[in-house]
Amino acid sequence: MSNKKIYWKGLEDLNNSPSFIKSTQQEFAEEVPAENFLAKENLGETSTPRRDFLKFLGFSVTAASLAACETPIRNVIPYVFKPEEITPGIASWYASTYSDGNDFCSVLVKTREGRPIKIEGNKYSSITKGGTNARVQASVLSLYDSARLTGPTANGTVTTWQVSDKAIGAKLDGIAKAGGNIRVLTSSITSPSTKKIVGEFAAKYANVKHVSYDPVSYSAIIKANQESFETPIVPTYMFDKANVIVGFGADFLANWVSPIEFAKQYSKNRKVNKENAKMSRHFQFESTLSITGSNADVREGLKPSQVPVAIVNLYNNIAKLAGKSGVSSKAIDADKQLAKAAKELWENKGKSLVVCGVNDIASQLFVNAINSMLNNYGATINLDVSDNTKQGDDAEVVSLIEEMKGGKVAALFLYNVNPVYSLPASLGFADALKKVNLSVSFADRADETASLVQYICPDHHYLESWGDANPRKGHYALIQPTIFPLFNTRSFQESMLKWAGNNTNYQAYVKKYWRNNIFPLQSAEMFFENFWMKSLHDGIVELPPDAKPIQKMMAAAADTAMAATVADVDSLGVLADENKGPLQKVVDKPKEAVGLKAETATTAKGVAIAGVTVSFNTNLFSKDLSSAAGTISKASSSVGVFEITLYEKIGMGNGNQANNPWLLEMPDPISKVTWDNYITMSPKQMQELGLETFLEKEVDVDVVEVTVNGVKLPLPVYPQPGQPYGTVGLALGYGRTAAGKAANGVGQNAFQFVSIANGMMMYTSYNAQVSASVGKHALAATQTHHTIMGRKIVQETTLKEYKKNPAAGNEKIYLSIKNGHEHTKVLAEDVDLWATKENPGFDKPGLFWNMSIDLNSCIGCGNCVVSCQAENNVAVVGKDQVRLTREMHWIRIDRYYSSDVKNQEQAAEGGLGLIAGYKAMEAPSENPQVVFQPMMCQHCNHAPCETVCPVIATTHSNEGLNQMTYNRCLGTKYCANNCPYKVRRFNWYRFTENSAFDFNMNDTLGKMVLNPDVTVRTRGVMEKCSMCIQRIQEGKLNAKKDGRRIKDGEVQVACAQSCPTDAITFGNVNDTESKVAKIKADERVYHVLAELDIKPSVFYLTKVRNTEEKAEA
Amino acid sequence: MDYMCQKPQPTKRLTLLPLIILFVLNITFSFAGDTEKGEKLFKQNCASCHSIGDNKVIGPGLKGVMDRVPKPAEAWLAKWVKNSRAVIASGDAYAVKVFNDNGKVDMPAQAVSDEEIKAIFEYVQNPPVKKETPGDQASGTSTQKDEGSPTLLIIVGLLFLALFFTLRTVQKSLGKIVREKAGLAEPVKYKGPSGVLLWMRTHKKWVAVILLFLAGWGSRAAWNGMYAIGVYQGYMPEQPIFFSHKIHAGQNGINCVYCHSSVEKGKVSGVPSVNVCMNCHKGIQEGAVTGKTEIAKIYAAADYDVNTQKYGPNPKPIKWVRVHNLPDFAYFNHSQHVKVGQQDCANCHGPVATMDTIRQVSKLTMGWCIDCHNKTEVKMEGNKYYEELHAKLKEKFKNQPITVSKMGGIECGKCHY
Repeated sequence: MSNKKIYWKGLEDLNNSPSFIKSTQQEFAEEVPAENFLAKENLGETSTPRRDFLKFLGFSVTAASLAACETPIRNVIPYVFKPEEITPGIASWYASTYSDGNDFCSVLVKTREGRPIKIEGNKYSSITKGGTNARVQASVLSLYDSARLTGPTANGTVTTWQVSDKAIGAKLDGIAKAGGNIRVLTSSITSPSTKKIVGEFAAKYANVKHVSYDPVSYSAIIKANQESFETPIVPTYMFDKANVIVGFGADFLANWVSPIEFAKQYSKNRKVNKENAKMSRHFQFESTLSITGSNADVREGLKPSQVPVAIVNLYNNIAKLAGKSGVSSKAIDADKQLAKAAKELWENKGKSLVVCGVNDIASQLFVNAINSMLNNYGATINLDVSDNTKQGDDAEVVSLIEEMKGGKVAALFLYNVNPVYSLPASLGFADALKKVNLSVSFADRADETASLVQYICPDHHYLESWGDANPRKGHYALIQPTIFPLFNTRSFQESMLKWAGNNTNYQAYVKKYWRNNIFPLQSAEMFFENFWMKSLHDGIVELPPDAKPIQKMMAAAADTAMAATVADVDSLGVLADENKGPLQKVVDKPKEAVGLKAETATTAKGVAIAGVTVSFNTNLFSKDLSSAAGTISKASSSVGVFEITLYEKIGMGNGNQANNPWLLEMPDPISKVTWDNYITMSPKQMQELGLETFLEKEVDVDVVEVTVNGVKLPLPVYPQPGQPYGTVGLALGYGRTAAGKAANGVGQNAFQFVSIANGMMMYTSYNAQVSASVGKHALAATQTHHTIMGRKIVQETTLKEYKKNPAAGNEKIYLSIKNGHEHTKVLAEDVDLWATKENPGFDKPGLFWNMSIDLNSCIGCGNCVVSCQAENNVAVVGKDQVRLTREMHWIRIDRYYSSDVKNQEQAAEGGLGLIAGYKAMEAPSENPQVVFQPMMCQHCNHAPCETVCPVIATTHSNEGLNQMTYNRCLGTKYCANNCPYKVRRFNWYRFTENSAFDFNMNDTLGKMVLNPDVTVRTRGVMEKCSMCIQRIQEGKLNAKKDGRRIKDGEVQVACAQSCPTDAITFGNVNDTESKVAKIKADERVYHVLAELDIKPSVFYLTKVRNTEEKAEA
Repeated sequence: MDYMCQKPQPTKRLTLLPLIILFVLNITFSFAGDTEKGEKLFKQNCASCHSIGDNKVIGPGLKGVMDRVPKPAEAWLAKWVKNSRAVIASGDAYAVKVFNDNGKVDMPAQAVSDEEIKAIFEYVQNPPVKKETPGDQASGTSTQKDEGSPTLLIIVGLLFLALFFTLRTVQKSLGKIVREKAGLAEPVKYKGPSGVLLWMRTHKKWVAVILLFLAGWGSRAAWNGMYAIGVYQGYMPEQPIFFSHKIHAGQNGINCVYCHSSVEKGKVSGVPSVNVCMNCHKGIQEGAVTGKTEIAKIYAAADYDVNTQKYGPNPKPIKWVRVHNLPDFAYFNHSQHVKVGQQDCANCHGPVATMDTIRQVSKLTMGWCIDCHNKTEVKMEGNKYYEELHAKLKEKFKNQPITVSKMGGIECGKCHY
């Protein structure tokens, strides 16, 4: 056995508990406990006599046949005036932008018959480059949230816009006359036009102040950059240019600053092949096991109080290498790794990056100093281009609350923020709100804050509204509506404009803003209408960061000629179509007329562009750090028994989309727990405290009371390998009380543990009290399901080994074949029970779909899970069903913990059996390495499921797909029992229109998100990954209609399309030029469970870790 | 290829049909020659702007036009039709008045001969008198019935019955004579219910045979009955508007794709939206069969005012009743069959061009689909998509036709996902 690692999926696997062994024998862990789930309490007492049963039977048979005789009337209702761009049955795509104040993502929205049903990434964007994350994917479901308000309310009662406008206007006038203070509290606004509107509002009423607030704050970075370089911004980072990355508690692959962008950059530097056997090296020092940490080459668990100390120690190490003097600091356990990191950083000066996710100015100052010493400014960090998605200023928020408490705020406007929920109660926002004379919220629902204000003026969902975004200097994005507003809502901007006395609608306003401010910055388009249409089409406009308005004499003249027509169009409604009709012609004419001049102008601009060189400042840090060092050492000197870190989950984020069942049911990539937050604790410490460390469906975990800053919350405890001893972690975003039916009462609100230190929101506490068990709680984890029974399904190697041998770690599996009396060893892939030379078996003459999954690129973010769910109408089943192992996700991300162990032989030498061998491996599980493996139907070409189906409901296609025919399936579940990958899902209930599963499929609004090309499965049938056959069929049909061969990349499955790190590649291997066919020839390729010889169509590439000492370049 | 629905074949029976209809409609044959020609010309050249009634379409209604124009009417009209602008320019008082009354839009010059103009106005003056609808439809359907065969069957049946009774009487009397001669006793008579029971007791084998037969027949009937559940062949629901494909696709020869415009693009052929109807019916305000009532429903849906020619703010979509229904779990795409597979609409929808009310002609069962996929050869020539595949398949199925099913066209996942 060359592979020295043993993987296990959970502590249960590791410990091999008896009930775990029992459960591994069963595909379906439960013996049909329908009563437990649905029944009334007295169901056991009732009985149905035989005669009654026969009566019922007879009646239902008769009723069914009678019902079947009647032809059901189905209406077909065409449009009265069909919009030109809509063809029933064909999707229309629109470019738009997801910018919720936290994430920024350029997206494409797929609409069917006017309904948005799917979000994909927009490849044109240089920031997100076609990537998305789970929150962006799920945002389409938030549009159809039945908890949304259907119109404006005043003091809790529904009203009309006229009434509320009048009332708010009158109050505002009164306040303005009296000279009262007006405050606008918003999330980080990236929209330039919105900022201008807030400015207009401020111009109309005196004493208006705009305060930005991020629930998860990045204030410290802004303040530290202010102090260090006098640029109060969050800079942009370039992980793809860094050979060595050191992260301190910054979960930059999942949440920190711009995770979609960073995931793309990060993975780019970690794709290895024979020609380019190089990858970045990543050290992560953190207090919870994050997605970023689990992808790191070296991960060290640190207590929250040690993280700043570690930064100081890294600084000292580098200062020593730079020949500078360090600051005084104390030694910690991680010093050895820190010294290594320092050495490698120093060797890669200008090609390295140090980031820190702690919202503490002192720590950020040290990080700035380190990056400055390493010459990273201008190389991997760009201070010239700010990331505008994080503008929150904690100090201003705190002083705003003080003002409110003092009765100094007369009017408060709250846009896209929920401070009652996302600020600790100790700040007293809710009470302070009562002292405000006029309070207005633009929330889409009566959430924790909005339910306390006087007027709610609900904003559109972003898929219903116009808008723009300027996430960073030079990068502009447009938001366009993809559906007519579902309810009587109005955009925030339009409301503000109205109160500012400007009756322009926001669409016209955005357009005008772009005409006056963005159009002059570019040179590619001569005429605004063309520029506008192109920008809407592309979704983005990218300009040199310091673009200056370019003189457009001719263009301006031509524009004036158009102005009259344009003005007409501007005054049309929200969905006015400006693309069509005579307007287009008007646009074309002047172009011809001034064709010659236009050319000259372009040349002139070309010069202007050439003059603009994208240069970075190599900022130098020159501040005295001794006071910062003092702050850190003082803070870290007084610590309690437990320390706590509050973190964001990749699904829930800061909780602004909490009422989204897709996100609630998405398993956390690390813990695999759904529908909950909990504290993560080291299993070793849990055993010492006598807490339950087994996580199984029958076993409830313990609940402990955690006290931080005097706030006490009861929280379940989850055993998390990799969680440093003496620390706990807790996810933000849960514990909503007024978000809607799915989110209310799920988990606890971790924002209550946030404290204010040095004017910054602190998401850690060095002193948390954890009580003994006070009760039990059921956690729904998908972790121990679908076990691997100790087989090796993850192949991995190190970069050093890979350089020597590209097939390193890819252990080939041989079978012993009896040939006469001789036994010969044959490669498992070469054995075929079905095919012989005479009969080549089932061939794939045309297309043969294959999928490649690069374990090195997969960061486990879970984006594909939600993307698949949206594409394939996968049902949400709820916590109880997840506990019964009945989640319906077609794709799951298996997470395996690994740890180095001598080997099994050595365990045997030591007199240990297999089980004892596992136990011997327990020690390194304190800080395990992690592997993520996306797992879905492998579309085996000798599929075990197909041969056991008694009704031939699952069959094979001549394109290599394993097909599942729902209408044929009668639910024997033989296939699932025979599937070695455990990827088949059974519909135990009808999940649509069933009040027991009160999620999106049980309400008329939520059902609008369903993909009309995919059957909604009913009770009693099996389902599984279909390789998005609806997309394959569509792609083939398009090619046939055009009379051409199908192009590589034309057909994309949902998971591959949304993957932010391009870990999944899908295509036709019969086309030798296709990407997937080329990958298939790689040495790293292996099939999971190849020894079964079932010839899957999905193959994996071995994971390569850069764990050795830095290999010679 | 031609997507036109199948036009009625000129069989003997059908050539008689128009004559019968004409008879029923009480049309006097004296005008038939010129008015028929005139009607055709009118529809081709004039109907998009003029009606033969009082109502204004784009131009004025033509009822009584011969009486109002300057005399001699025919000559004046001929001049006007050929070049109205010249007439107006000549300062003709009536011409100027007409021009001003109609929004100062002049009538485009028409390329028609004097003779044709005469025929048109012949028609305008003496439009065919129409009876209201019901009789028309009834007569239309009854003439299509082939009454010969059932009568023949009944006569043959009656003859057989008569023969049977005659022979039976002969047999009875012969038996009686034989028994009398031989001195045998009268056979037992099975009369009344007790007689039936007696017969059953004495003829147990026969009873068993009959019961078996009944059971077999019964289960077959039940089986067939069950199979027919959910099969709506011949389904012909009443629609909210009496829209006749016979008139549109048949008589007027409108291409199917003109209205069902997404048939080559997408999954559904597309029920036309009201604005498609309005393309023609803005002009054609009166139908040949139903008069104004049905077309008025289109206007109501579009909220269109015929007099002002303006659209109102309250359009209401038309709720058509869907005729061809597939279950949700079956995916069918029109463009695959019509554009790629080059199938004629009529292959599945039958002779739509002869139907007043549309009906489901095919079974639309899975067996029906598969039958066709087994039989139909894939049209691969000229489509580069199939190029490589075709070469491989030719190798594999030497000399055999390559049908849809041989290419995987009956795999489950082609329709069920």
